[in-house]
Amino acid sequence: MREITIDTLVRLLRESAGEDESVQLDGDILDTTFEALGYDSLALFNTVSAIEREYSLEISEEEVGGAKTPADLLNTVNRALAGTS
Amino acid sequence: MPEPSRPVVLLFPGQGAQHPGMAVELYGAEPEFTATMDEFFALMGEEGGRLRADWLGDHPRVPLDDASRAQPLLFAIGYALGRTLTARGLRPAALLGHSVGELAAACLAGVFTLADAARLMAARSQAMATVGPGGMIAAGVAADDLEPRIGARHRAAGVAVAAINAPRHTVVAGPEPWLTELTRELAADGVTTRRVPSRQPFHCPAVRGAAELFAVGFAGVPLAPPRVPIRSTATGLPVSGAQALSPGFWAGQLARPVLFWAALDGLLTDGDHTLVEAGPGRSLSMLARRHAAVRSGRGTVVAPLPASAEGTLAAWKAAMEELDAQVGEGALGEGALGEGALGEGALGEGVRRGSVEGV
Repeated sequence: MREITIDTLVRLLRESAGEDESVQLDGDILDTTFEALGYDSLALFNTVSAIEREYSLEISEEEVGGAKTPADLLNTVNRALAGTS
Repeated sequence: MPEPSRPVVLLFPGQGAQHPGMAVELYGAEPEFTATMDEFFALMGEEGGRLRADWLGDHPRVPLDDASRAQPLLFAIGYALGRTLTARGLRPAALLGHSVGELAAACLAGVFTLADAARLMAARSQAMATVGPGGMIAAGVAADDLEPRIGARHRAAGVAVAAINAPRHTVVAGPEPWLTELTRELAADGVTTRRVPSRQPFHCPAVRGAAELFAVGFAGVPLAPPRVPIRSTATGLPVSGAQALSPGFWAGQLARPVLFWAALDGLLTDGDHTLVEAGPGRSLSMLARRHAAVRSGRGTVVAPLPASAEGTLAAWKAAMEELDAQVGEGALGEGALGEGALGEGALGEGVRRGSVEGV
């Protein structure tokens, strides 16, 4: 079964926001809200678009909107991946 | 041991931050905010009454996203929040405004009086009324990546990069139908975009004529060097005395791109700060949270007003407590940031003088 890991998600979050390695994005970010991380709707949808391209899947805007933390998003993506495999 | 206090920077948002009910709960509840808003509306004359009605009403006569509503209201709310914070004893070390928010910063820093600001906002609205329909979109790519995607036809129509808000948050502005056409092309290329709530374009060649008209509105307006440093979104550096005295510097801003990230990065590279968003919503503080200095905890962010109509007063009060705890004694009270540099006069005198002249 295909699965997205936290490392992959962090890489895609970084790329989508244009953050280089100098910008800290590790440790306990899984349960930190996207708001606290500064991921506004543009950055979040940008990340989701990158995931959709890389994994050839579609995630509805509603599902994205419901993801308040990286952990939520990880679950959402992995549910979608389980459904497509 | 208490944390050492960090100098406070006020961030003033611009077009796009407006929303129904913005800061309305503070009106009538925060005395300094209320008095300053009323002072501004009075200085705007009859138009001030209409502005106030559209701000407070459930069914604005003119939509809030229109330049004639969003611009003066964002100016007034940003300025009034700045006054409210300084009335509480806060002494900001610097001011940073996005678009019309930069004019709120200039007024707070004493570059022009509130009475003159009211005239300038009227001139800005009149100038923007000459601009045809258009708008702005935020794209999730770097400016360098976006530039080549704006075709010759779109450029000829006045479409251009209007703001660089973050490494991959670039705003494009322009007239319709070209902006919508470009948005479709970007979507087809896999570029994520979001519409910025605006009925007109800003900060692009399509509003050069409007910027020239706006410059005429500065005739007879005395300008003074800022008494509190303003971090310029034109250069990323502090506004110089010569720039502050130049009407062209302030009016030209209307057609120049907003280099928000450069200004923010300049500030945060110079030192660790507590950033306070003095305006509706959290758009600027969200961007700041992505900066290395803030993410690492060297700089912090306080965003007092959520982008909702309800709950803003409670959020504001909670943020004020958080702010007191963060800045401690350091940025509160007399002489905190150097003798005479940021005393009451720096943020208060010009305003009172303005109200006496204007009313």
